[in-house]
Amino acid sequence: MDRVNFEIIRSGLYAIAREMKVAMMRTAGSPIIHSGGDASAAIFDAKLQLVAQGNDIPTMMGSAVISTKASVEAIGVENLRPGDVIVSNDVYLGGGNHQPDVQLTRPVFFEGEIVAYTMTRGHWVDIGGTAPGSFTPVTWDIHAEGIRIPPVLLYRDDKPVEDLFRLIVQNTRDVDNRVLDINAQYAGTFVGDQRIKELAAKFGAAQMAEAMTEALDYSEQLMRAQIERIPDGVYEGSDFIEPVQATNWPTDLIPVQVKITVKGDRMIFDYTGTAKQVRGGVNCPFSVTCNSTWFTVKAITDHSIPINQGCYRPIEIICPEGTLLNCTYPASVVSGVTETSPRIIDMLLKALSVAVPDRVVAQSNDAACSGIFSGVDPDDARCRSLRRKHVQHIDPHGGGYGARPMRDGVNAIRVLVGNAGITSVEQIENLTPLTVESWRLVPDSGGAGRWRGGLTSERVYRVGFEEATLTVIAERGIVAPEGLFGGREGAKFQASVTRSGGEAELVPSKGAYVVVHAGDRVAIQPAGSGGYGDPLDREAERVAADVRDGYVSREVASDHYGVVIGEDGRSFDTAATALKRAKLAAQPARGAA
Amino acid sequence: MRRVGIDVGGTFTDVVMFDDVSANVWSAKVPTTPEDPTIGALNGLKSILEISGSDAGDVGFVGHGTTIATNMVIEGKGAKTGLVTTRGFRDVLELRRGWRHDRADLYDLFFEAPKELVPRYLRREVAERIAYDGAVEQELDVADLDARLRELKAEGVEALAICFLNSPVNEVNERQALSTIRERAKEIFVTGSVEVNPEIMEYERTCTTVVNAMLGPRCGQYAANFTSKARALGIHSDIFFMQSNGGLTPPEAISDRPVTLLASGPAGGVTAVARLCERMGVGNAIAGDMGGTSFDVSLVRGARPEMRNSTMLNTYTIRCPNIDIISIGAGGGSIAWIDEAGGMRIGPESAGADPGPACYGKGGARPTVTDCNLVLGHVDPGSFMSGDFALDVKAARRVIGEHLAGPLGVSVESAALSVRQVANALMAQAMRLVTVERGYDPRSFVYIPYGGAGPVHAVDLARELEIPTVVLPPMPGVFSAFGMLVSDVIHDFQASVVLNVEDVDPETLADRVAGLEEEGRARLRAAGVADDQVVIERRADCCYLGQGDTMQVEIGDGAIDRAAVDAIGSRFMDEHRRHWNFDVTGRPVRMMNLRIRAIGKVGRFAAGETRARNGAALQPVGVARIRVGETWVEMPRYRRDDLCAGDRLQGPLVIEESSSRIAISEKDSVEVREDSAIMIAVGSA
Repeated sequence: MDRVNFEIIRSGLYAIAREMKVAMMRTAGSPIIHSGGDASAAIFDAKLQLVAQGNDIPTMMGSAVISTKASVEAIGVENLRPGDVIVSNDVYLGGGNHQPDVQLTRPVFFEGEIVAYTMTRGHWVDIGGTAPGSFTPVTWDIHAEGIRIPPVLLYRDDKPVEDLFRLIVQNTRDVDNRVLDINAQYAGTFVGDQRIKELAAKFGAAQMAEAMTEALDYSEQLMRAQIERIPDGVYEGSDFIEPVQATNWPTDLIPVQVKITVKGDRMIFDYTGTAKQVRGGVNCPFSVTCNSTWFTVKAITDHSIPINQGCYRPIEIICPEGTLLNCTYPASVVSGVTETSPRIIDMLLKALSVAVPDRVVAQSNDAACSGIFSGVDPDDARCRSLRRKHVQHIDPHGGGYGARPMRDGVNAIRVLVGNAGITSVEQIENLTPLTVESWRLVPDSGGAGRWRGGLTSERVYRVGFEEATLTVIAERGIVAPEGLFGGREGAKFQASVTRSGGEAELVPSKGAYVVVHAGDRVAIQPAGSGGYGDPLDREAERVAADVRDGYVSREVASDHYGVVIGEDGRSFDTAATALKRAKLAAQPARGAA
Repeated sequence: MRRVGIDVGGTFTDVVMFDDVSANVWSAKVPTTPEDPTIGALNGLKSILEISGSDAGDVGFVGHGTTIATNMVIEGKGAKTGLVTTRGFRDVLELRRGWRHDRADLYDLFFEAPKELVPRYLRREVAERIAYDGAVEQELDVADLDARLRELKAEGVEALAICFLNSPVNEVNERQALSTIRERAKEIFVTGSVEVNPEIMEYERTCTTVVNAMLGPRCGQYAANFTSKARALGIHSDIFFMQSNGGLTPPEAISDRPVTLLASGPAGGVTAVARLCERMGVGNAIAGDMGGTSFDVSLVRGARPEMRNSTMLNTYTIRCPNIDIISIGAGGGSIAWIDEAGGMRIGPESAGADPGPACYGKGGARPTVTDCNLVLGHVDPGSFMSGDFALDVKAARRVIGEHLAGPLGVSVESAALSVRQVANALMAQAMRLVTVERGYDPRSFVYIPYGGAGPVHAVDLARELEIPTVVLPPMPGVFSAFGMLVSDVIHDFQASVVLNVEDVDPETLADRVAGLEEEGRARLRAAGVADDQVVIERRADCCYLGQGDTMQVEIGDGAIDRAAVDAIGSRFMDEHRRHWNFDVTGRPVRMMNLRIRAIGKVGRFAAGETRARNGAALQPVGVARIRVGETWVEMPRYRRDDLCAGDRLQGPLVIEESSSRIAISEKDSVEVREDSAIMIAVGSA
């Protein structure tokens, strides 16, 4: 087709997806969406292939490839009418990624035909289930994780189906924000609908459909050209995922495994050998495993290739049913997408580091690392002003992002497939009975290396609730993020509650909720990340600057980097450093670090 | 009186002079001098005095816009700056929001962590704490502050930013810290968050304050240097600087709030567009500024530029009122290339001004948008930059052939046409972004193009968006400089409210509004603005309770009573519905910030009248060959200077002036207005 029209339609679709996300963020009621941006938007063609998406949350968009098709097929395309919007969240009934991510899907009608679908997905702060915040991994099955919404019509003729709307909203623990957030997701699908119709009116439905098809082929072609450049071969990897940590629950680490075959312009990922699905919410539905795999390939090839479903065509995924990475009913899944998935990506990157050493990253914190507080606000004036008594707050944290060849890791950030932002301290204090006492980077949490791993951050809260539940869900409390090519490991996750009396309790990375009281202090710190390359090769100047800035302590500078820092805390002793480095280099055990 | 406008850009410094009495206009372009931009600005001043035959004493007004602040942030060349925060929070500046939306493509594993504006060892903490409701949990520990100040002085910081948690709700600790530091460190430029951006959300406030601090010393110095050099030249008039909000401010104010200079240059052009609209009696315009590296679009509604409260520069969030400008990397110097799948792409790489497009003959080896426009006849090789240098058509054809036409197996003309069409598509997309995507119909706007390359694409863009009229402003090539001499003096003030509208006490609100108004009037008085020239605008940022983003609505001019406060709420609901197509019934409207704008009406649109035709017939000066689709079309060429008020012409034709050419097809017609603008009626595709 005409190259110029093609370019206009293709780039127009991406702009529409971005606008859908903006509409959601600007109108939503939950900080996790309007400040954290924990929501995504995408556009599908009439054949239910993802053709464009925003710069949002990769995990939501990759899995939408499966959930959107499931949503439409469940209703039946022949039953859809203009103004319909389908809602769904369930991983087994609707192909979702986990229950708190709720999707709205809308057919776009033009001249009586469906020409596209718009979808928005948002993280709901609560979806019911055994624990406030719907994010505990200590669950027997999927029913304990909250309301299961199979694909059903939430809007007909652009009006909410009131009975269903009420039923869903009343099964969550923050009704008012639910109403705003659903409206916001609806606004996103609506804006997309309007824009796509304008595009169709301008270019005609046939030309738009042709451009969509071509956009998919175009990205596929670019991906194949990139995969072609990866050396053919079989690359294997394995790792261990952390189990749920609850009284009398199994404590064994969960083995995962992959065999990657690169053959010409194709890649095959075979996860056979991975453990069977387990008790507790660490399992991944197949949509999540697909996304982990797709993300990895996109990231190690060329990130600038226009992202759409065409990118995934050269990739084949084999994963037996009933396993951790392709779980079946009734396995619970809440942390699969936020924690297990990045761990799988780390495993894939390490396996591929043999083939493409200059395109991979040392291991990262791999968690949304959310702290979720739920309780009654004792501040009457605020309750009146905010028109609510119950507080439901989810706070994701930023951890270390691993070191890369030629580049240090990144401090305190959401990594890989996750990308929800952190809530402002002042906003938390305005909206909840929590006081944030400090929020800081954690020295030495980034693994030493020629390139240093990114540091993690720690947030300390003082509890102002009379009593509240605290759910913490994270990763790498047991298995530290490894370095690559001689880089050292980063710090593990840690969290604690210090009671007002002074006694401290550790909170595990995947435990049951704990009850906190006024005056308790809660500290949450995601894992750091691994270094890349031998720390003895890092320029002493860089190490000294890291010590000056408090990213690295003098002890680690000396013990890991072999750099002897002067009295002023920012210069280094050249002679002593040479000596120390020679001594460290001679130690036989170093390579194993 | 003669007024002078100066716009110091990245490459060129543009100067415009206007004579109030004779209505004569002169313009000049001199190279920018990056090592000390006041030199270029002064050269420009001297040059315009010479060209116009004026004495320095004839100059009654100088308006000055400059990119120095923007460049300092982008290049990280501000002052050595320290930051003092509440204990426990020195890392807020680096931690940001913990996501990648603001810094990276999602699938890019190798994204850079943005450079911290203040390195960690220069970020210090002091004991103090204000609670969310304004209660003083801990008073400022002055001894602690003293110790931190001594350390930072020893590090040799030139500027200091202070940002304490919850200070917008209760300023007491931060004010005390500010006065303590100012007393004990007179040599350091000190700025507090409550002075720059008293608004909750600590990262955004800290970042804004830090940027203000790091710009402080150099911008203040620049303003002082420029002023004293102008004085030495014999110019004794008022000297004003253009701010991002489209208003002028005296040099002293720049020394306090340099952060308001960040979009100084572009703000001039948009302000000029707004003034042109006012003069023509046109309410709505899309302003399109196409220069060497970017295409900047903004909206003028009701003859006022659309504003926003926050912007992002090089990943840093800066919260101060600025004209809402969308910028895309499609300028004349943007490079066109073919990707691996054979797709035509433009930018983001740019040949800039050096080497510039291949046709500049300065070593540019890859095809740019300007090269393609030249090959297609949309740029005249002879009259570029007033004929200062001839463009090399052969070089343009060679690089297009080598990098585009060859690989695609098409003719040079056809490759160039594709580039022009893709560039048009990108620009049209940006224009849609500011109109359609904000709920406005572009067909109810006129399009006003400027910048060196603006007119070259204007008619195509208007046709693409079905905009019926293009208005070609006077001096499109130096229109931003022109904006500097038609603007008003403007000061923006804000205060944090954070209450449901129904809980807002009208009396308290009225008092706060009156306080800010008085501050505004006092500032304007100090800038020499007469009281009867002062206009006050009052607005509030509102949202539905729970939402994170606000919309700005008018408070209205009358007394602030219960009814006036309630009207703010209903205005918000109307605006929300218009924008997002839904209401949230039963949900209170929350007022977040007050915003007061104090305007000193000193500017006016000062461009000459177009001459009347006194019998002499209009003659084309030659013929231009313009590529249209698969064929060359010959069009008569007219010099803009030869056009007279009341002239009406039917396309095809081209109109030429310094640096720009605009081609008008047989579907379009031209009308020359008395007020120096040219209207082009755009026929449908």
